[in-house]
Amino acid sequence: MKRLVAMLAVVTMALTATAHAEDKPAKVTVGYLNLVNAQLVTKHLGLLAKEMPGVDIKYVKVGGGGDMLRAIAGNDVDFGGLGNPPTAIGATRALPIKGILVINMLDYVEAMVVRTDKNITSLKDLKGKTVAAPFGSTTHYLLLQALKDEGVDPASMKILDLAPSDIAAAWLRGDIDAAWFWEPNLDKAVKNGGKILITSGEMAKRGYPTWDIGVVMNAFADKYPSYVEKFVKAECEGIDFWLKNPEKTAEIIAEELSLPLEDATRMMKGTGMVPCNKQLIEEYLGTSAKKGKFVDTLVSTADFLVKQERLPKLLPRADFEAFIQPSYIEKVVGH
Amino acid sequence: MSVEASPMAIPISADRTRRGHLRRRLPKISRSFLLSSLTVALLLATWTLVTDMGWANELFLPKPQAVWAAFIKTMTRGYQGATLLQHLGASLYRILTAFTLACLVGIPLGVLMGVSRNARALLNPLIEFYRPLPPLGLYTLLVMWLGIGESSKLSLLFLAGLPGIVISTIQAVTSVDPVYVRAAQSLGATRRHLLFHVYLPAAGPLILAGMRISLGFTYTVLVAAEIVAASAGIGWMIWDAAKFLLSDVVIMGLIVLGLTGVLLDLIMRGIAKLLMPWA
Repeated sequence: MKRLVAMLAVVTMALTATAHAEDKPAKVTVGYLNLVNAQLVTKHLGLLAKEMPGVDIKYVKVGGGGDMLRAIAGNDVDFGGLGNPPTAIGATRALPIKGILVINMLDYVEAMVVRTDKNITSLKDLKGKTVAAPFGSTTHYLLLQALKDEGVDPASMKILDLAPSDIAAAWLRGDIDAAWFWEPNLDKAVKNGGKILITSGEMAKRGYPTWDIGVVMNAFADKYPSYVEKFVKAECEGIDFWLKNPEKTAEIIAEELSLPLEDATRMMKGTGMVPCNKQLIEEYLGTSAKKGKFVDTLVSTADFLVKQERLPKLLPRADFEAFIQPSYIEKVVGH
Repeated sequence: MSVEASPMAIPISADRTRRGHLRRRLPKISRSFLLSSLTVALLLATWTLVTDMGWANELFLPKPQAVWAAFIKTMTRGYQGATLLQHLGASLYRILTAFTLACLVGIPLGVLMGVSRNARALLNPLIEFYRPLPPLGLYTLLVMWLGIGESSKLSLLFLAGLPGIVISTIQAVTSVDPVYVRAAQSLGATRRHLLFHVYLPAAGPLILAGMRISLGFTYTVLVAAEIVAASAGIGWMIWDAAKFLLSDVVIMGLIVLGLTGVLLDLIMRGIAKLLMPWA
């Protein structure tokens, strides 16, 4: 039903768009993940509204990658953010989206917390324990990847699928022994009898980087290419603000997520922000002529998900290359 | 008067109606069966046509063959560590346990509230208040109170099934003809006799109808109950597959859920016929 309504909405939007010669969307919906990153700064400072005067801008908070995929599949957002596993899923299932921007690199803002009194000092100690992660997310991917690298059978423990807020609640009740998830909820577990066993940043050093990428719906990008640039520009300004004004940013994060200032500051440090002109180097998106390492990460993530039977088949590398579109950032930074 | 007249009338009229019945009834059954099959066939044909012509995005509506392939694969190799039968077993265990508990609590409660006006007045606020509450709203609280394990899932299913049973049992008991009760009392029936030989047999068919509806309610909250921290169950399988956009598994799971629901209802009706042939 929702999809039908969404489809009708798209059709009417298409019709009205052709009726008006001016290429200007009436409304832009941005789905943002409940994470600590510069998208909160862009949102808080109203940078997108400044770039798009007269456009109704709507921000929708989305719990995790799985929900974001559903929102995209249901055509509920124009822009979204996805971690690399949901991106690999979306690209493989041919969702009509492309990746246009590095939102953040994940360091210790995502980590595995273990209950201190359970004497868990390595992944091997997780045998027989209850471990939670939001399935389909970056941390679920890293959990399974880390277990595989250590030679620990995932079947030897109970791995549960929980949303980050539910993990925090279950942790407080004592229902779970370990969880790999992210701030701001991660901190609640650490403060209540938990300690960090391994962080996503450490996994990045082992060759499993995780990140979130900004995506745009193809239909929107085809119709309003200049507005995609405006979006990228606003997000780039947010990232620059984050890098130049860490103290003010911490205040914004603290306010947006209702956190004490010191927690916001620490969580910020656990998130890697990449200024837009750097996003075009090989380590990140690369250029339109030569795509960067994000493609490698997508291929290896998709390969992993195929082995986990979460994806039917591994697409050729060219499909993932086509998904990454640095052209908008190139225009914004003037390449 | 009519009671006296009927024995004489029976031989003729029964014979006539029986023959008339036979003639009309046989084609009637096969006709409705035919019509039902037609609906199913039409649905399948439309599905095949729409997907074969490429009118629908395969991400949202996969081909019937793909759904069948997902069924075979899940039957034989399983989905994320459990075969389809294991997923179904986990779900049926939850549903049947919760439903049995709901009957064990709901029927006595309903009888009590039906027989005693005071009991009804005492308990009505509770039942009436929580009956319209959406199960998912309740669930967040249940998870906080009871944790993420089996007990919160069973409680949710139990609470979804309970009010239907209680309310239909009250109705069933209050609609028992008082003539039966007075007749039994005048023959010296005790309260125990009244309960087991008058109220329950007379109210039985309505109670069973309520149980059928309530089983349906329990069934509809299954997916919601299995969203939080399950790792097996048809509802969980559907939820998990949706996260990975495996729509063939989602549709297959829904079909299995639907067919299982029909089967459960048929079983309930069979039990009703067996226990209460007078209904």
